[in-house]
Amino acid sequence: MQVFNAFLKVLKKRSLSAMIYIAVFLGIAIPMASSSNATEAMKLTSLDICVFDEDGTDASRELISLLAENNKIVTLENDRDVMTDALYYEWIDYALIIDKGYAEKLAAGETNDLFRSYHMHDSYSVVYVTNLLSEYTSTVKAFMTSGNSFSDALSKTADALSTDTEVTMKSFSSGGGLKDIVGFYYRYLPYILVSVILGTLCPVIVTMNSRDLRFRTSCSSIRSASYTMQLFLGSAIFVFAVLALFTVVGIVLNGGINGDMLLAVANSIIFSLVVTALTVFVSGFEIGPNIQALITQIASLGMSFLCGVFVPQSMLGGGVLAAARFLPMYWYTVLNDMLMGDTRFDAGKAALCLAVEAAFAVMLVVLTVLVRRQSSGKNAPRQKKAEPAAA
Amino acid sequence: MFLHIFKYELLSSLRVKDLIIWLMIFPIALGTFFKIAFGNVYARNTEFSAIPAAVVGAENDPAFRNVCDSVSEGDEALLKVTYTDEKTALEMLERGDVEGIFYAGDEVMLTVAGSGLGQTILKSFADRYSVSAAIIKDALMNDPASAPAVIAAISEDVSSCREIPLTEGNTDNMVQYFYNLIAMVAMYGAVTGLHVSAGNQANMSPLGARRSCAPARKSVSIAASFLGSCIIQGLCMVLCVSFVAFALGVDFGSRLPLVYAAALLGGCMGVSIGFFVGALNMPESAKTGVVMSFSMLMCFFSGLMVGNMKALISAKAPWLNMINPAAVVSDSIYCLNIYSDYRRFIVKMISMVIITLVFVALGLILTRRKKYASL
Repeated sequence: MQVFNAFLKVLKKRSLSAMIYIAVFLGIAIPMASSSNATEAMKLTSLDICVFDEDGTDASRELISLLAENNKIVTLENDRDVMTDALYYEWIDYALIIDKGYAEKLAAGETNDLFRSYHMHDSYSVVYVTNLLSEYTSTVKAFMTSGNSFSDALSKTADALSTDTEVTMKSFSSGGGLKDIVGFYYRYLPYILVSVILGTLCPVIVTMNSRDLRFRTSCSSIRSASYTMQLFLGSAIFVFAVLALFTVVGIVLNGGINGDMLLAVANSIIFSLVVTALTVFVSGFEIGPNIQALITQIASLGMSFLCGVFVPQSMLGGGVLAAARFLPMYWYTVLNDMLMGDTRFDAGKAALCLAVEAAFAVMLVVLTVLVRRQSSGKNAPRQKKAEPAAA
Repeated sequence: MFLHIFKYELLSSLRVKDLIIWLMIFPIALGTFFKIAFGNVYARNTEFSAIPAAVVGAENDPAFRNVCDSVSEGDEALLKVTYTDEKTALEMLERGDVEGIFYAGDEVMLTVAGSGLGQTILKSFADRYSVSAAIIKDALMNDPASAPAVIAAISEDVSSCREIPLTEGNTDNMVQYFYNLIAMVAMYGAVTGLHVSAGNQANMSPLGARRSCAPARKSVSIAASFLGSCIIQGLCMVLCVSFVAFALGVDFGSRLPLVYAAALLGGCMGVSIGFFVGALNMPESAKTGVVMSFSMLMCFFSGLMVGNMKALISAKAPWLNMINPAAVVSDSIYCLNIYSDYRRFIVKMISMVIITLVFVALGLILTRRKKYASL
């Protein structure tokens, strides 16, 4: 097992970056996963609203308390730069100024230009709050028109606006058995699998396949099949160890194994096979460490951005998704989205995703064999032509 | 001698593969990925467009239909309504073609398939309709004489809020990822800067040993190397900004030349950081590790990986944004885009100059007057 031992020695030297990736991923993913209780039940979106009450009357305070019922009132300095930063970076959703004379004007039946708002985006939040303010003022005016005093109109408006339309939440998904935290964990897993497996195994296999080492091994008594088998064993143990670690953490986060969890694990196993096949394919080329690192970064980040790992597939354009279909991470993400309940679960589609991923692995293996055969044909020592027989 | 060292610094830097890969190819690839991933997010998530909704049973409730029609007209329509039967409406909801289904009738009801601002606005619309209908009904029953005035008041086109525009720049906040990409390339200038120290210290490289024996003052040699590295780094910065601005079409506002200026100064700042780290007494590989880790950590805090990181830092430790070199670079470009005046931009540029001078001074202190007993 000399080759296997040498493989492990090289792997040990190269494993630091893998450990950093794994530690950072687990260190970031687990706390983020714990706080990612995605909004699945129908509830009103709560906005962060900053209110500057320049009027300071009971009427303005009543409006602020109405806004505070479903939203969070944030206190910030009334400074143009602070507001610009806060609205641009969306620390707050809306910045409202209740103008001086608001109560007086509203009591007189005026509904225009009672407020000002700092404006950054033509966003949903702006439309929502602007409509709410218009609704509030026109309702107050309507109550006053029907004979109520200003204070009665304010309290009646507050009562009226607490009216709740009956809302039914329709669920079309029969999947979604994965906990949010586990779905989140498995969503980011392919990025880390590519970074760890490709980023660690590729330099090791390239080192083992380097010209000098290969020639030295070829001179030894070891058989070629045994050499390949030992390399394969070393790679398999590494991939299995990485996968086992992530699977155990996934099962712990899920609190046990259920059907969806099994599918998620199967998805990650098949995807790991694809990444391993990709690693072996890339290692077949004699490339330097910088190019290896570049390929790792481009493969991991590129597929993650294109296939909906970092940004959900629903946010990506049709053209991007059409191109992403030719990448294995796309199919991984499609299945994971079904398991998370983001899209409707379909057993046939789930099987298709796994099959397509497996097909990618097979295709990469075939490509590797073809490339190796061709390169070994080129590198084989040429046989001397037979000397022509002397006449 | 200055020109000689300067010329060969330029030539040797251009032949370093690390530089081509990490300062030219990698930012181009990462920028392309950002564009693919974030290109539609602002338009889809933040910018308002009429919310698609289905209405079932509108034929039995003409009043509701009229209201729906009125809010679906014009450039600033609130809803995009489809009148249909329940089966089709549910299919549309499942496909995501509509965000909710209104059931018209005595009481308007709403069915949705998720939560979000779109659904919240639909509910708010239904609430408003129910409130208005109740007020009008009440007026008709109790005081028919005042009913027309009440109807007029409730249906009045109100414009209670006047907007104060804050900027004329590009308000797409996904662009901050590109600002941070430029900051990352500037920080990678530290890798270029490492060569300045290594190439001028006899105990760090054969080149340093040769230069130490040469009849040239160390200050001249370091100045030539530093300038050469800054020019190479500047080329990388110009390439990065040009690619983002012209190939990816990212809108930096109307002051693009100043974006180049900020990027160039940021690149010099990165080189100065590398110059300082390179002068520290530690192995070459450790220096590269320190420089890369420091760069990525600073980029993480300025929001390269997590968009709202800067907001978090601003709330918990605002001083960090002032001294974080990556945040200073990205902030300078942000200020150019968003603010009409140059006040904050100038502050950021001065910060970059100060950081550069501090690291150059520290580097010089560490490299000057070195004597070697043996090499």
